[in-house]
Amino acid sequence: MSLTVDIIKSGGNRPSEPFRRIKLYKSLVSVCMSVKVPQGQAEDIADSVCKNVINWLKDKTEVTSNDIRTVAAKHLKRLHQEAAYLYEQHHIII
Amino acid sequence: MSIAASLAIIILAALIHSSFQLSLSVLTILSGHTIGSKNTQKKLFSLTTSFIFGAGLITLLLSSAVVLILINLFGSNSPQVVWAGGCGLLFGVAISVWLFYYRREKGTALWIPRGVAKYLLIRTKATKMKSEAFSLGMTSVAGEILFIIAPLFIGSLAITQLPAPWQLLGILIYTEISLSSLTIIWFLIGRGKTLGKIQKWRETNKYFLQFAAGAGLIILSLFVYVYEILGTTVGGL
Repeated sequence: MSLTVDIIKSGGNRPSEPFRRIKLYKSLVSVCMSVKVPQGQAEDIADSVCKNVINWLKDKTEVTSNDIRTVAAKHLKRLHQEAAYLYEQHHIII
Repeated sequence: MSIAASLAIIILAALIHSSFQLSLSVLTILSGHTIGSKNTQKKLFSLTTSFIFGAGLITLLLSSAVVLILINLFGSNSPQVVWAGGCGLLFGVAISVWLFYYRREKGTALWIPRGVAKYLLIRTKATKMKSEAFSLGMTSVAGEILFIIAPLFIGSLAITQLPAPWQLLGILIYTEISLSSLTIIWFLIGRGKTLGKIQKWRETNKYFLQFAAGAGLIILSLFVYVYEILGTTVGGL
């Protein structure tokens, strides 16, 4: 599924790109699996978070990638705290 | 300088080296991507092991290079001004570590150039093969050279004071101990400890680790100053 929302990349150095659900979905599955969530459950969690993010995006035309990350982490936190923690940490580990 | 005193300096310098966190951060992210990309435990083991070997090799090479340069310049008895310079370097880096090591923000982001951090992040995500993980380990050590240079220099200086047959052992001891924190994380990940818990621990204790690294550098600096400079000028030791 694709919305007509532009994602402004962090730092503003890279060009913006349209929102792609699959990209968000894959990153969520990946972070869930990295904290040992079984694949099926990870996919269910990612699906649920994606739905919430898309719902949030509906009335928007432009958001930053950090906004997406923050909203996704907020919803992920309700489903799996440790995965949400790692998801939030991803860009601030190094 | 006695063999025991040299070894004590080498061991303390290597422990301080191992307390620096850039390689640990990269190893944590590498493990996260490897597990998250549905790779097998065997793949995780091979990538993280290659990473540690890469970090070990560059440490070994850097240490050997500094030892070689020091021996060529000063032989096995470095003048006191070199020791004093080493103490100053330790002290300066200690203050820098206390002031700047971690960025004042959430997470464990380090005070290294953002370009280097971004490059490491991109390379870590792209790492799929053992050779890439190996060079990533080397790069991560090089990325933190501003901080590790002080313990590396003083450790190497202490190695030059050892009798020739002991020097290789000194370099190996330094390298082995400097990899201890990486080895612990590698072991924990291998035993199934989740990355969230490891990262949470690192974030919770980051200011303690920062303080400990700075304090270690100050203690090492004072020890070297008293033993090598005051001890020989006053003639007590």
